[in-house]
Amino acid sequence: MPTFILRRTLYALILLFIASLIIFYGMRLAPGNPGDVLLNPLNRIGLIEGLRHKLFLDRPLWEQYLIFIHNLLTGQPGVSLFSGEPIPNIIKQAGLNTLKLGLAAAILTYATAIPLGVLAAWKRNTPWDQGTMLLAVLGMGIPNFFLAILLIQLFGIWLKWLPVAGSDDITNIVLPAVVLSAEAIAVNLRLVRSSVLEELGRDYVRTLYAKGLKEWRIMWIHALRNALPPVIALAGIMLRTLLGYTLIVEVIFRWPGLGATLVDAVIRRDYSVAQVLALLLTFAVILLNLLADVGQQVVDPRVRERVQAA
Amino acid sequence: MASTEIVAADLGFRFGRRERISDAWALLFANKLALLGAILTVIFVAIGIAGAIVLAFPSFHHLYLDQNLEQGLQPPLTPGHLLGTDQFGRDLAWRVAAGIGVSLTAGVAVTLISMPVGMAVGAASGYYGGALDRIVGGLIDLTWGFPVILVAVIIVGILQPGLPAVIAAISLVNWAGFARIIRAQVLSLREREFVEAARALGVPDWKIIARHLIPNTVGTTLVMASYYIAITVIAEAGLAFIGLGAQPPLPSLGQLISVGRGLLYVDPWAAIVPGIAIALIVLGLNTLGDGLRDIFDPRMRTYR
Repeated sequence: MPTFILRRTLYALILLFIASLIIFYGMRLAPGNPGDVLLNPLNRIGLIEGLRHKLFLDRPLWEQYLIFIHNLLTGQPGVSLFSGEPIPNIIKQAGLNTLKLGLAAAILTYATAIPLGVLAAWKRNTPWDQGTMLLAVLGMGIPNFFLAILLIQLFGIWLKWLPVAGSDDITNIVLPAVVLSAEAIAVNLRLVRSSVLEELGRDYVRTLYAKGLKEWRIMWIHALRNALPPVIALAGIMLRTLLGYTLIVEVIFRWPGLGATLVDAVIRRDYSVAQVLALLLTFAVILLNLLADVGQQVVDPRVRERVQAA
Repeated sequence: MASTEIVAADLGFRFGRRERISDAWALLFANKLALLGAILTVIFVAIGIAGAIVLAFPSFHHLYLDQNLEQGLQPPLTPGHLLGTDQFGRDLAWRVAAGIGVSLTAGVAVTLISMPVGMAVGAASGYYGGALDRIVGGLIDLTWGFPVILVAVIIVGILQPGLPAVIAAISLVNWAGFARIIRAQVLSLREREFVEAARALGVPDWKIIARHLIPNTVGTTLVMASYYIAITVIAEAGLAFIGLGAQPPLPSLGQLISVGRGLLYVDPWAAIVPGIAIALIVLGLNTLGDGLRDIFDPRMRTYR
């Protein structure tokens, strides 16, 4: 077991190193240079050299890489080429917004998927079940950005119930959270349903019925609790997917989170922000992968045995 | 009756190639949902090919580029414009067809790049096992499930917004999906008697992999390919929608939706028509994939 964790951590570190190389060198090879982005084209003669010196662009590439990593590790990743704002401030602000949105989406996902999934399994083959499964098919079939358009049209333009962009008001979070969680709700809905259905066929459930226990207690307490492990196992994968989707959803709804900030920086060629955010999000995904892998080994005894045997 | 067919398909390596293919056809027609998926897919591939031809030959460009400002924003079923027109009076049907062509081409390109790589890596890793498998397996686990959109945004930062960056980014992640499945299949196939027999006869390793193992994974690979093309179409559309995918004047479905989004107040059709096209393509490919899975691997049959 410890060797497994050690090996996985080693792989994660190697991947992180490769990712940092790709992000760092790639963004330096990218077309366009900071002088073009920042300086007035009519008045920049003589200023370019100064700027290059200030950004260490006159040093060899490997030295620039080491400076980049050193600055990252000491918490001084520099300032935005565009606004001059210190990058740690940007990360703090945007990170908080992304966390808010992610938390809202996660709560929405489980608050919807678990009750509806249990209900679908309980009342299987009734309109309850069919309606819920239709919801699941729609959630998986409609691309999230198209869902965003439909919801903006319906609630923003026709009904005028909800704001469609920005982050000033608590109601701003509703539409992006719904769009972000739509696919996760659909996937979890199906999983909860099939997992509860599986539990309902087991002997202990028959015993509970024979004991005269109320049906709702059997469903919501006994069957649900035993049906949850696969749902928890899926949570790691779900988080990763959500993280990817925030890039699109935040841009659509002008939600000022990490995703929207990264996309903006890439489009504007603000590479000092882009490389830090890209590396930060890559690190988050690799960390989630690692935790999910290790977590699964710890939780699932069958996997644990297999690892010990190997 | 049906069960003998399934067994025949499952043990396909006993029969000749022709029998195997005719079995697959028979099962496809027996499975209504798969047939529906296949029909949808064939229709959209045909439209996509027409669109790609229009894009490829400048003499056809007038079909989707000709403007007529007096005929802008017509709803579907306008005479002369089956699906209406956009804000410049360009024919929406031809624009969507061209968009389908671009999106499906991206999907096929990703598959053509990532499938051979994934097959080779997965087969080698599963067949040889040992240290190679441990290293490659770790690499596959880390790559698989990496958010495609994040990788694409990074690659766009390195190259520039456009279709090549998107194709490169999705391929960079998808090979691991193919490798993962092929590795698992080869891992179980290599213990079968026919592989042992081949080895006993002195057939070299590469030939066992190429002639005896890979052909037995074709079914699974086809299933994966249909899912991955669907994923690519969605990912490309999402990226085009936020301005990082295919760039104008090259239309893609996401870009058409993105343009339509700006016209929602005046004419929702410009966004809804390409949106429905994406939903139907993805529905077709996914149902076809589910059906193919049932046909090629009865043990993985979905519970209905």
